[in-house]
Amino acid sequence: MRKTRHLSVLVTVVATGIVGACTGKIGDFGDNPGKPPATVPPGGTSDGGPPVGSSDAGGSSDAGVNPGKVGDYTGVGPNGMRRLTRVEYDNTIRDLLGDNARAGFSKLPEDATDPFDNDYKTQQVSGTLIEAAETLAQEASARLLADPVRRTSLVPCSPQGPSDAACMRSFINRFGRRALRRSLQEEDVQRFLAFQDFAVEAQDFWVGVDLVVRAMLQHPEFLYRIELGTPVSGKPGVFRLNPFEIATRLSYFVVGSTPSDALLDTAEKGGLDALDARRAAAKMLLTDRKARDRIDYFHALWLGYHQLPHPADLTSAMRAESAALVDRVTANPASDYFDLFRSEQTQVNDLLADHYGLPRPGSTTGAWVTYGSNPRRGILSHGSVLSAGAKFDDTSPTLRGVFVRTRLLCETVPPPPPIVNVDKPPAGDAGTCKVDRYASHANVGSCYGCHQLTDPIGFGLEAYDRTGAFRTHDKDAPACAISGEGELAGTGKFNGPAALANLLVSSGKLEACVVRQLYRYAMGRRELPADGPTLDLLTALFRQKSRSFEELVLDTVSSAAFVNRTEE
Amino acid sequence: MPTFKLNRRAALKGALGVSLALPALEIMLDSSGTAHAQGMPLPKRYLVCFDGQSLGGDDDPLRDDYVPNMVGRGYDLKSALAPLAANNIRDEVSVVSGLSIPTANGGAVPAAGRRDDFHVSSLSPLLSGVRSGDATTSMGPTSDQIAALTIAGNTPFKSLVYRVQVGWYLSVSAPYGRDIISYKADSNGKPVAIPPIVSPKAAFDAMFLNFTPPVDDAEAKRREFLLRSRRSVLDMVSGSAEKLIPKLGTADKLRMTQHMDEIRDLERRIVAIPPPAAGACQKPPSPGNDPPIGGPQATDVTSGGGFNINTGYSGEEERARAFCDLVYMAFACDLSRVGSLMFTMFQSHMNMYPLTGHRCDLHEIGHGGDPTSRGTLGVSKAIAWHVKHFAYLVQKFRDAPEGGGRLIDNSVLVLLHEGGHGLDTSSGKMNSSHSTENMACLIAGRAGGLSPGQHVVATGKHPANVLITAMNAAGVSGNLGEVTGNIPQLLM
Repeated sequence: MRKTRHLSVLVTVVATGIVGACTGKIGDFGDNPGKPPATVPPGGTSDGGPPVGSSDAGGSSDAGVNPGKVGDYTGVGPNGMRRLTRVEYDNTIRDLLGDNARAGFSKLPEDATDPFDNDYKTQQVSGTLIEAAETLAQEASARLLADPVRRTSLVPCSPQGPSDAACMRSFINRFGRRALRRSLQEEDVQRFLAFQDFAVEAQDFWVGVDLVVRAMLQHPEFLYRIELGTPVSGKPGVFRLNPFEIATRLSYFVVGSTPSDALLDTAEKGGLDALDARRAAAKMLLTDRKARDRIDYFHALWLGYHQLPHPADLTSAMRAESAALVDRVTANPASDYFDLFRSEQTQVNDLLADHYGLPRPGSTTGAWVTYGSNPRRGILSHGSVLSAGAKFDDTSPTLRGVFVRTRLLCETVPPPPPIVNVDKPPAGDAGTCKVDRYASHANVGSCYGCHQLTDPIGFGLEAYDRTGAFRTHDKDAPACAISGEGELAGTGKFNGPAALANLLVSSGKLEACVVRQLYRYAMGRRELPADGPTLDLLTALFRQKSRSFEELVLDTVSSAAFVNRTEE
Repeated sequence: MPTFKLNRRAALKGALGVSLALPALEIMLDSSGTAHAQGMPLPKRYLVCFDGQSLGGDDDPLRDDYVPNMVGRGYDLKSALAPLAANNIRDEVSVVSGLSIPTANGGAVPAAGRRDDFHVSSLSPLLSGVRSGDATTSMGPTSDQIAALTIAGNTPFKSLVYRVQVGWYLSVSAPYGRDIISYKADSNGKPVAIPPIVSPKAAFDAMFLNFTPPVDDAEAKRREFLLRSRRSVLDMVSGSAEKLIPKLGTADKLRMTQHMDEIRDLERRIVAIPPPAAGACQKPPSPGNDPPIGGPQATDVTSGGGFNINTGYSGEEERARAFCDLVYMAFACDLSRVGSLMFTMFQSHMNMYPLTGHRCDLHEIGHGGDPTSRGTLGVSKAIAWHVKHFAYLVQKFRDAPEGGGRLIDNSVLVLLHEGGHGLDTSSGKMNSSHSTENMACLIAGRAGGLSPGQHVVATGKHPANVLITAMNAAGVSGNLGEVTGNIPQLLM
């Protein structure tokens, strides 16, 4: 059971004499931020191009980024079946049926976001899920049948009456392959064909279509991405995913939706087995608009701004700003991804420009402006990111520190000890400034261990309030000037989000964390010890390839971990 | 009208190709729903409601504005219980005060106790009678699910698990168990969470869509066809799950088995014969589409500056009413006999402005989040919102004829609160809302000899003692978790 409190609660220490879990040691397994980069194997990527392994030519024994050398199945972790998230469900219905109702979001059980919405370990089966799946299937099918254009495009023949089994069969084969993301066996087809009895009874071919669609959309292989694979010889416990399963992983990872007919065709012909072919397929997917949306959504979850608590106009301006910057640094493979943290420009509309104290661009939709003398730089200066970690109607230096440690450095900050009241900010006499009130954390020995690692980070961001607007003094306390001085313990001092970003970039720790966060999203779970070698290799490649985000995506899908699994 | 019954039985038997028992209530009552048939006892109903809130506000020496001064019958109503005044509902409801849940107080968690940190640590002892563990979930099955094992009988819905507060409403965290109050025991006795239904429309559709008798043969035939094809689809789907299971790894096998079991449950529910519209049992009006879901709040918003009165709220007022109507009618029609109704979550971040005018969320009210309505009196206004809906439900039960009496004669309904007021053993502070001292709750209904309308001071008793009393009254013998014994005064 995951602990609840990494961001939901914050530490206000009232108790004394408690030995906290923070003794300066932070980090769980495989978290080696200070560790030198893993060595990139010779011959793998020296030209900066896609690493192609010779053993890959046959397409059957591809073990990873650099087959036979580092990949070698050592970085393959366990994976179980993953249910479509609410967003993935709606995307899938859109792509399968041409249906943009997006009804799943409000009917399916809410996905936990910690920070990603697709961690299958948090998914629960419930009566609500089953009933929602049934209702959604019935409603989607009804909308389909009420739309002659859409329904005709799904059925590849003109039914010659309700008992036209050949036409029903071709529909089942075609639609079933897309819905279940695999070719149907004759046995499967027969079971779906049984619904034609109802068509005959009702004297309406489309009654049969309706039931087939409803059964497909409730089918466990539709709702879950089930990976069986085949055992890898000589590697007990390791399973190689079959081509359809690989296509499915690729598609949901890159575009957040079900694989297209074209991708399934490629898979069926063995076109995703070889590593370079898989890279090519992923590269093609990355040109899709849906991939841009997926990458935007990944960042929004990771950096905590997929939902913002501000008025609608400010929220949408902030979301658009961050989406524009993310797109700029990820769409071009030649961009240095760390420009995300250092960009000297941003896209704002007049509302947001006013909020930041920037000159208005004269646009309600947004235009790129240069920060110039304004001290902001990069996404950590965006109102979107600065909105994460607010509490008590103000910024929480502790929560902001936890945010930087867990989201940007991938460290683990232990929850506060149980005997701590986290529901109130540190108390102080009237007139005591915030920085002094928070000093109570540091004055209690047992609190110091953790809070020295978090609070000084937050105080370096204090000049930006919980909406990201600049301020010079504490909330409602003009006498308490904010210095903005902060420290990332063990790395250095800084003042403001731009300087923090520079510190993170120069720390050499940011690459490993970016890689790890993307990997969590790709695999739908937190990393495990078995994933360690894969993460090390991907981090080394990310560094070597000048931090190209596109290359990171391609290297991730090239890894052995992406096409193999061990049983959970 | 015996011919109707025969028609129903014959039509359904023909339709489904199986022989089904008619609903118990149909056998027990005559067609007007007012008389016992064959002298069979009427089924008992059991409902647990929950309010995610303590009784007092921080630093307020006033412990509560809830517990009556007067003990016994005809007790006085303070502001938190003011909604009991109308329509003599007070006479149907007992107040139990003097309750507490023990805490670790720096040591090990005692039996039926909780950890010292407050939020969610009371969940397990409060609802299951089992001491809290490290996690935020229940450590034992909850009373509603235990009761269902004994009293659900052949009802199509073994239990109703509903929640009014739609979402967690915080943008940077997740509820992690604060949103669930029902746990069943798996085959190893391990508690398994039951996520609640939050959509009144979905709940209505599941129970009542096919409720009205068909107007003519053509309609009956059409419905029979729809039901049969729907069953066929579900059958195909659960069969596919079953075929997959042997191919899966250990962990996936377990997940897919649960998934299949849930489909089978749905299959069982949809073939259940709709009850006759008789007596109190009538198809209720559809609640219509659910109110729109509101956006999140900032973390722990309070009144100063940033509080947005338009977020963190999804029409919970209408949803609470709709769920109360559904629970009532499901019980009146014997579609279900057991339920849990969570009004608000533990540490609830629901925006209370639309409901009580507080400019903060429910949780912050207890911490003085709205300076204009703080302390215990501010908190009591929020409790009263929950009590209002509970009172509405009790009134429905009281006014519904069943057999020679009323539905409430065969029912027991409890309203629990997350905490009390007093010492916070994590901080050492007095007069804290983070406390399980000085707890109280409501129990209504007349099943099993319950005698409502009293204020009972049960000093030293645990809230689970009230649940045991309720369970016993509903015909479920035994105790709850680590707590033993009922509260005899409630039964006389």
